[in-house]
Amino acid sequence: MAAIKQEIEGKKDGITNKDTLLAVLKFLKENNLKGTEELLLKEANVKDEDLKQQDQSDVSSALAAYKSESDPSVYEEYYTSLKTFIESSLDVHKCELSMVLYPVFVQMYLELVYNNHEGEAIAFFEKFNKDQESYYEEDLKQLFTVTKAEHMARNQLMENFKSSEFTLRMSRDSYNHLKRYLLDKKHTVLLNIIQEHLFIDVYDGVPRTKLQIDSTAGGVLGEARRDANKAKVYYGLMKEPDINIPLDDDDGETEGEDKPKKKKPKKDLLLSRKTKNDPNAPPMNRIPLPEVKDHHKLEKVKSLKESLKRVSVAPDHLPSICFYTFLNSYSGVTSVDITEDSSTMSAGFSDSYIRVFSLNQSKLRCVKQRDALGVIDPLADDVLERMMDDRTATVYKTLLGHSGMVCATSFNPDRSFMLSSSTDGTIRLWSTATWTNLVCYKGHNYPVWDVKFGPYGHYFVSGGHDNTARLWSTDHYQPLRLFAGHLADIDTVRFHPNSCYVATGSTDRTVRLWDVHSGSCVRIMTGHKAPIHTLEFSPDGRYIASAGVDQVILLWDVASGELAGQLKGHTGTIYSLAYSREGATLASGACDNTVKLWDVNKLLDDQDGEGITTANLVNSTSYEIGSYPTKSTPVLSLHFTRRNLLLAAGPYVP
Amino acid sequence: MAAQKNIPKDAQVMMAILKEMGVTEYEPRVINQMLEFSYRYITDVLDEAKVYSSHANKKMIDVEDVKLAVQCLLEHSFTSPPPRDLLMDLARQKNSVPLPPIRPYTGPKLPPERYCLTAANYRLKPLRKPSVESSAMPLVLTSSGLSRIGTQQQLSGIGKLSSHSLAGGKLSLNMMGRGAPGQPTITIKPAPTSTVLSVPSSITQVPIIRFNPGQASGATVIGGHMASVTPKVVMSTIITPSQPSVSTVDISSLKRKHEDDDYDAS
Repeated sequence: MAAIKQEIEGKKDGITNKDTLLAVLKFLKENNLKGTEELLLKEANVKDEDLKQQDQSDVSSALAAYKSESDPSVYEEYYTSLKTFIESSLDVHKCELSMVLYPVFVQMYLELVYNNHEGEAIAFFEKFNKDQESYYEEDLKQLFTVTKAEHMARNQLMENFKSSEFTLRMSRDSYNHLKRYLLDKKHTVLLNIIQEHLFIDVYDGVPRTKLQIDSTAGGVLGEARRDANKAKVYYGLMKEPDINIPLDDDDGETEGEDKPKKKKPKKDLLLSRKTKNDPNAPPMNRIPLPEVKDHHKLEKVKSLKESLKRVSVAPDHLPSICFYTFLNSYSGVTSVDITEDSSTMSAGFSDSYIRVFSLNQSKLRCVKQRDALGVIDPLADDVLERMMDDRTATVYKTLLGHSGMVCATSFNPDRSFMLSSSTDGTIRLWSTATWTNLVCYKGHNYPVWDVKFGPYGHYFVSGGHDNTARLWSTDHYQPLRLFAGHLADIDTVRFHPNSCYVATGSTDRTVRLWDVHSGSCVRIMTGHKAPIHTLEFSPDGRYIASAGVDQVILLWDVASGELAGQLKGHTGTIYSLAYSREGATLASGACDNTVKLWDVNKLLDDQDGEGITTANLVNSTSYEIGSYPTKSTPVLSLHFTRRNLLLAAGPYVP
Repeated sequence: MAAQKNIPKDAQVMMAILKEMGVTEYEPRVINQMLEFSYRYITDVLDEAKVYSSHANKKMIDVEDVKLAVQCLLEHSFTSPPPRDLLMDLARQKNSVPLPPIRPYTGPKLPPERYCLTAANYRLKPLRKPSVESSAMPLVLTSSGLSRIGTQQQLSGIGKLSSHSLAGGKLSLNMMGRGAPGQPTITIKPAPTSTVLSVPSSITQVPIIRFNPGQASGATVIGGHMASVTPKVVMSTIITPSQPSVSTVDISSLKRKHEDDDYDAS
């Protein structure tokens, strides 16, 4: 873009903006400001012959570039001419070039407002805002509330527009086409806008079709730059610590002879995954992780045993769904979380209560009182069992502590702690042994919309209204990492299965992947047309599924940051996603009171690893393999148990 | 929608605003809430503007005053999250610190005690001991020798006592008695203030009644409460056994010493 400016001004020499300098000199001369003129001549070392080259029209045009006080009616004219140019260009280029219209429109409007041309600004807006793409509607509404220069200072969206650049991707051919047009017309205002506020990421290749462009458009500040997605991401799973699984199970012995044979191959499959060296897996010491304790190993053994009984979910083998309905809550339920072993469920309510329910036969127990604990022999084998008080065990517990609506809850993998975040800006850590509030983490001063424990416990991430996500660890009262970069509230946060990356979905319609180790953003994924409410990593860590208000589930390839698939079918805001345990099926629950199942393996197979092409987008094969409506109960949460039974939860809203 | 003519003009304006902002479905009470909010907000702004205009010695509120008032209220009540560049700066600073290592085998990993909510939020009051009680009984000399104060009448025999009743302040008891030689005299002076932090009682003065016997050694007696209502009450409270001020604790020591644990970027 700098090349264009230089070509127009036609000079290439040491002093920048030489034209302007000469114009100023000319101006001074015309107004008889001799003293100033001489001083300026001396300081700038302008030679006499340069002076003669100037003439009247150049003066005013050069100065006009700095005065944005140009005639307001000019904006409309420029915009219309740009529009006609684009419409008259070749079809091949048309789609890409029309992406320029929106940022130009916004910037022109902002300039008019900034220079106090309120009437013209409103007229300009009303004339052209219908032409813009539908997914920018929300932003345009916000834009319209800014009609005076004072409004601009406080509006966050305006600050973002003014300070950052709108990113566009364009093929070289289209870019040259645009450049030629701008050079011909010499519309300085337009030129300035494009130069300052637009970043055109030029790539060599075939111009994209409308569908392709649409698939990645939608971010508040355009698409992501290609170099934003260049960093290497270790998306593999970490090597599991070696665990000696006793091969002679009790179950194996009681059952028939053929059973052990059937079990062994399955076990080998699960075991062998651990020993292979995955080049995409992060090294074990990349981030400090808590040590593996004995009870973790026992847990792992139990988990593997249950996984053996797992039924894999496939289109011909759909899972059973168990739905937990919250009655009489009058939409008070805001969030639900189920533990990894599906034994306990916690629900956050809008009246600041948290209720924890037991989902299996055992009741929720509390640790005994001090006197009773004193008589227990600490060396007994079952000391942990003896510590718990069976007499006061109940099916559910109520936890009070927050002073605002509870927006999210999360259990840690070994179920010893629970976190809850709320609109009062705090995150509270609860112990599931004593059912009391242990710590209150204050850092966000604004509502915290989501909080999640890491897959190994100890770390948790939270995201809120202040446009940041923070990484905390349970033993530090201040956050360890601050993930800043989003342009609007962060609505959902998730850890990668290897605990080294955090994904965040936001109201600015982008999904970002952050590196825990360095705190930097390694992937920006645009394509959603409305705020994102839920995210999920696939169990193997290769893909991210995200969904929200735009009712479409998008699948992203973590390795490249490119869109891998689109799943359309829902008719309401999607609030929850869950992958089956082996990652072949995706379940989604939405405000249209249905749970839908999608065949992810088929989607990825169809693409053959090439990524999304126009063919895929046009392809209308639906990957939906099941749709289960509820009776006016929006689905807030989904969870696959270790045996691939799908649990769902939601409030009954008649 | 109710008949338009029955709705007051303000409510109609509010409905129009909601429509313009794209809100189509709302409960009817929303209009009342919005009207209340806007009334409260505008009064706050105008109050502030009045303050500013009177500070500038102006007679009437000016546009400038209103603008200033709006700005101030925005910064106080309607704060918005920090701007993006500030957050990026903070993030850069915070993210440059490597992740702290995890100390193994330390049980549940929680922040230091003072940042947790696990401390007891109560304190047990110590039990009263009988010996302290008896020594706390004030001794008053009467002509018949040392004896406990029985009634007001007895005491009035000593001499005219004038006592001021003070509201919770110092109490001075002037004995205008005969300071006959050989007669022990009693001087009562208010004790230095110390705040007694025992649960039920209020903070009171604990005057020390110094008893100088003519011949015997003095005995310092710690008097009881000095209620501040009437002389009668004052006297009777001398009788009552005092609360042992064993649990006199300085308030300041209960306050945790705050270091700079404010949230910061470093």
